[in-house]
Amino acid sequence: MTAALLALWELVVRAGWVDSLLLPAPTQVARSLWDDRSLLAPDLLVTTWEVVVGLVAALVLGAALAVAMHMVAWIDRALRPLVVGSQAVPIPVIAPLIVLILGFGLAPKILIIALICFFPVTIAIADGLRDSDADARKLLRALDATRWQRLRFLDAPSALPSAFTGMKVAAAIAVIGAVLAEWSGSDAGLGHLLITANGQLETARAFAATALLMAEAVGLYVLFAWLERRVVTWGPRA
Amino acid sequence: MKRLVVLAAALILAGCGEKVEPSAEAPVKLEPFTVMLDYFPNADHAGIYAAYEAGLYRKAGLDVKIQTPPDPSAPLKLLTAGRADVAISYEPELLLARDAGAENLISVAALVQVPLTSLMALPSSGIRSAADLKGKRVGTAGIPYQSAYLKTILEKAGVDPSTVKETNVGFNLVPALLSKKADAVLGAFWNVEGVELERRDRTPVILRMDKLGVPTYNELILVARRESLNAEGASRLRRFISATAEGTQLVRDDPATGADALLKADKGLDDRALQEAEIKATLPAFFPTDTSKPWGWQETVDWANYERWMRANDLLTRPPSESPPLTNEFLPGVGLGDSSRG
Repeated sequence: MTAALLALWELVVRAGWVDSLLLPAPTQVARSLWDDRSLLAPDLLVTTWEVVVGLVAALVLGAALAVAMHMVAWIDRALRPLVVGSQAVPIPVIAPLIVLILGFGLAPKILIIALICFFPVTIAIADGLRDSDADARKLLRALDATRWQRLRFLDAPSALPSAFTGMKVAAAIAVIGAVLAEWSGSDAGLGHLLITANGQLETARAFAATALLMAEAVGLYVLFAWLERRVVTWGPRA
Repeated sequence: MKRLVVLAAALILAGCGEKVEPSAEAPVKLEPFTVMLDYFPNADHAGIYAAYEAGLYRKAGLDVKIQTPPDPSAPLKLLTAGRADVAISYEPELLLARDAGAENLISVAALVQVPLTSLMALPSSGIRSAADLKGKRVGTAGIPYQSAYLKTILEKAGVDPSTVKETNVGFNLVPALLSKKADAVLGAFWNVEGVELERRDRTPVILRMDKLGVPTYNELILVARRESLNAEGASRLRRFISATAEGTQLVRDDPATGADALLKADKGLDDRALQEAEIKATLPAFFPTDTSKPWGWQETVDWANYERWMRANDLLTRPPSESPPLTNEFLPGVGLGDSSRG
């Protein structure tokens, strides 16, 4: 399927139906991947580092927020609209503010990535915690379990599959989060490279960087899917 | 002035060294100085990067940090918030910011003397002059004052504006042109996009704003906060501008210096021939046409004309400010004792 798409794409460009400055052929992209490797590799490292730190921050904060929302009803009532609303905030609107507070280093990038990625994690975990088995909950209550014990032995384990779904979504969008973060002021990374490549009409290079971003998103997704299989060895899916 | 700077640097050098070392390696106490660019590094910043790479800022006692902003409208906001000592912006943006209440912002030098914004079309569109725009579709970046340029241009060319379809294409001016979704675009720079398209054999027809009836203005300016210009702040600013002027002179003497400096600052700008071509194209715009004026000179009359045009187009709402939007007093050779204040 992918091969057929690539062949069609190559044909469209070779036939001159689209200006190659707008859409380079796959072979041109492949050549740029190789020719520009000394340029792409360091930027890939920068972006990967941002993605990893940002994603970890999103997972930790997202999970903590979900547990807090699960345990305390008023926190859920107070924060859920904010959590949902946060996803509607256009990054360019808050970028100057973030730069103002955090400056220009790694910190603003991490914040932007975490802001984009925590949402699926929080919602998936919060809903997963809520949807634990009702009969098991009754049983724990009969056994006089505390709230923390119920979280530890019932809600948390039963929320794991849903949590992994949230994490896989977060992993896939963390990469575009990093690009948006770098577009908000940066001097390295694939997002930065996209701007300079576009600025010089090096469209093949921009597509090569995009191919790397896609590969990174797929890689992260696969990593979390593998983790899920290792950790979640029970439940409805087993 | 140059001599003064060297003298000052020498004095600082002598003043703070227990171990007096005559070489430039001596531990000079450099003062931090942050410059906020208007956009990602490009040919317009050649003079700044050349000065940086040649060590002219360090020689002037400044530890200059060059920052890329989140977007072209952010520099003035971040300057107001004290995140930079000097920000690169555009004459219209400064006038708008001052109209919105930031009257403490003042232009202290022109980085690029003339409008770079231009009207661009591919030859296949059949557009050769503004009069040919009748019945065409023009892509703009969605910036109100640039839409006003289009209105002024059409009026001057005697074209009924209602026959021209304006489409906001955001930052995608070149793609809109190449894909022929727009017959012409207004907002691309003749010295950047114009040179790029030409080098890729898609030579566009370029019509410059100031040739089409829009009053001339300084496309890129250095902006500072008035309250930051106490004796020390003014001294830092003067040294920065002086070193930038020298850097720009280096670029004029040898455009390759500018291209090398840009490449060092951002290794993604590796099309050296392209950078050099853009710098060469921009060179005449880096210096005032009146050669008796120093680098960075701003013409008060031109500013007044431009501001009047903005008012006539309802782009400014407040009555004219008491405090002038520009000053030439920090330029090399100006404002040091004699009465040549601009």
